[in-house]
Amino acid sequence: MRPPSPSIPEKEFVYEALKQSLRLDGRQPLELRSPRLTYGSELGYVECALGKTRVIANVDAKMVKPLPERPFEGLLTIHSEISPMASSEYELGRPSEEEITITRMLDKVLRRSDAIDKESLCILAGQRVWHLRLTLHFLSDAGNMLDCACLAGIVALKHFRRPEVEVIGDEVTVHSPSERAPVPLAIHHTPFCLTFAFFPDETTQPVLDPTLLEQRLSAGLMSVALNAQRELCVVQKMGGVPLVADGVLSVINIAVTKVKELDALVEDSLREDWKGRHVEVR
Amino acid sequence: MDIDLDGDEDFDSGGSKLTCPGEPLTSAQDYMRGHGTYVENEEVIASVAGTIERVNKLVTVRAVRTRYNAEVGDLVVGRITEVQPRRWKVDANSRQDAVLMLSSVNLPGGVQRRKLESDELQMRTFFEEGDLLVAEVQAFFGDGSMSLHTRSLRYGKLRNGQLVVVPPILVCRLKSHFITLPCGVDLILGLNGYIWVSKHVKQSDREGEEGFDAEAVYSNQNDAIDDFTRIAISHVTNIIRALATRFIPLSDTILLKAYEWIVEQGSDVKDLLQEDIGDALVAGITAIG
Amino acid sequence: MSSRIEILNEGGFRSDGRRQYELRDITIDMSQQGTADGSAIITHGLTQVLVSVFGPREAKMRSQTLYDRANINVEVSIASFSTGERRKRSRGDKRILEMAATIKSTFEPVVQTNLYPRSQIDIFVQVLQQDGGLLQACINATMLALASAGISLLDFVSAVTGGVHSTSPMLDLTALEENDIPHVTVAVMPRTGKVTLITMETRLHVDRFEEIFKLACEAGKVIHGEMRAAIRLRTGMLISAMQSVSQNAGEKEDEQMYEY
Repeated sequence: MRPPSPSIPEKEFVYEALKQSLRLDGRQPLELRSPRLTYGSELGYVECALGKTRVIANVDAKMVKPLPERPFEGLLTIHSEISPMASSEYELGRPSEEEITITRMLDKVLRRSDAIDKESLCILAGQRVWHLRLTLHFLSDAGNMLDCACLAGIVALKHFRRPEVEVIGDEVTVHSPSERAPVPLAIHHTPFCLTFAFFPDETTQPVLDPTLLEQRLSAGLMSVALNAQRELCVVQKMGGVPLVADGVLSVINIAVTKVKELDALVEDSLREDWKGRHVEVR
Repeated sequence: MDIDLDGDEDFDSGGSKLTCPGEPLTSAQDYMRGHGTYVENEEVIASVAGTIERVNKLVTVRAVRTRYNAEVGDLVVGRITEVQPRRWKVDANSRQDAVLMLSSVNLPGGVQRRKLESDELQMRTFFEEGDLLVAEVQAFFGDGSMSLHTRSLRYGKLRNGQLVVVPPILVCRLKSHFITLPCGVDLILGLNGYIWVSKHVKQSDREGEEGFDAEAVYSNQNDAIDDFTRIAISHVTNIIRALATRFIPLSDTILLKAYEWIVEQGSDVKDLLQEDIGDALVAGITAIG
Repeated sequence: MSSRIEILNEGGFRSDGRRQYELRDITIDMSQQGTADGSAIITHGLTQVLVSVFGPREAKMRSQTLYDRANINVEVSIASFSTGERRKRSRGDKRILEMAATIKSTFEPVVQTNLYPRSQIDIFVQVLQQDGGLLQACINATMLALASAGISLLDFVSAVTGGVHSTSPMLDLTALEENDIPHVTVAVMPRTGKVTLITMETRLHVDRFEEIFKLACEAGKVIHGEMRAAIRLRTGMLISAMQSVSQNAGEKEDEQMYEY
């Protein structure tokens, strides 16, 4: 069910405020709602909140037989169905256009950007590999679920540790976490996704991390996924209001600086969490 | 008028100027924008591909192929798509389905008859989904969809023939769109590009004795058609098809000429669908003129 | 990823003999397909896409009608014989759905939908052959089909793919090149020089991106020239066909033509 569109005065009010670089929640146009990361007791369980948008990401691993065409690579699958829990807009079983975009973007940002070293997930070539499953639960939608989900996903992958395995000949031994310290995943780089909203009026500045209302009133979104090393992983602007070429490049440059901040923040929070954990090795 | 068209003017024919979407035509201060254009930054810009036309200060661009743009008084041929309370929805090759109100049709039992509740309940006995009809554009609704009427003896359900669909632009505006060819074939050239080709019905038969034959108007039964007429109908439809694929505008004189040419050549009905015969036909009728 | 085939050799040639900035052959066929209101087949090298546009017409589902503008419906299907390896993709494939959504949102701001309230414009995209630059071909073909259907458009849209091989940018990639190097698809509006669509899916440094992005914007204008010429050729042909008869067939028709 699509919620009714905002009324004309509501619309005008938001546009007028944005024209003066004011946002309804008091942020600067290019300010991110600061992400709150809450870790669960298990490794690889993260709840990420951007304002009222909340997504839980959970990673688990099991051993499977690798795909015949890629015997040396582990698998990473992402499960992300948006349930009506997030918002009455979403229906189970019938993916909305937004849901398709989110699913595809998650796939591109987390899987196809080669963030995880898949070859390091190989245990025994052609016989046994790790299959990582990243499950995302969308708890509530207050705008920009995509960025929130990508953040939750990548943090969960960084937080997760898999049990150590030992291979002697054809024998595979899995050591339980109480025996040997579990090992973190080999991660090549850490991509973060940032979404900008553009408005019909050309003079209005683009807005980073749009809220639900801003998103609905926007005339086009552009998502940029990149890492702190200034490498773009995904740039996606699917139609919407046309932009001048320089505008696109300036948005990307903004994203470059924002990602550096975000990267530092995530690293800090992970370090903080790790300090509080006791991993016993006997 | 200084309409600037840069480069490739080779395709210009007969002095008509071509344009493409997004091409600036002229200044908006000196000219008014018409259909197929819009104004941005004080410039009139084309929004469709077609020919530029100018009437005094009004600049329009007419697209070559487009859906039918109705005008009040146009004769159209349509097909019922839906029966709704007190109205029929009619597909008339337009942007939206046209509406035929129960109050805009003649019902059996006299022209002046009042519509009763019982008529509303038996609307399907007059027109059913899939029925073809000829009607006139009566008016437009606020959203641009058109309202039709069949309140004339010449309008109503179509029988005894077949439908051909051509691009609407190919149907010229004529004095009369009811054409009778000497080969015993009646043609209704709907301005929406739907053309009805049928057996000739005598004027007196159509109107009936009392001016209105109720049974005949909404009848679903075809009359007996002899083989000669059947062949003639097929001939005419294939002529229309052949002309339409070569983008030749249809009018009574051209169709007549084409039919004469075919008879002269003595070619079979199905021959017309062959590429070379169709080309020869076009060459033939353009040469006669 | 390293490939066995050299993407760009020392002489500056690509695997199919093109130079870095050379586009593949473009052929455009705008002849009518069936009962479609507008249709076009575009071929970029070995990639071929057929688009048929129906409408604006009455929406099939009443729930889809919008009271103030037309609803655009895009359906993409990829022929199972379009790739070397025969493969059937279901309609629910996320990649196909995403492509349809991309085409839809690219053309929604371009089509003057407010002129066609309560109607629906159906765009059926059929991929016949694919060899890289699929989205580019789909967008270009849709543009041509919409223009031939006489639908009001605010501007032209032309799309092109670009890629970067180590540090050298290249245009209009084949499937072979797409598999190996980062690539970007950009759709531009040539009149204003604005960009409506950008997609990139592989890792690329920001500076490299800037380079290829600017190059692609330029290349879009070249493709626009080709497409514009094709539309003009087609319109010119139809109009001269219409005039050929009316001019010869006596004054009577002539008058009527002008009136119309």
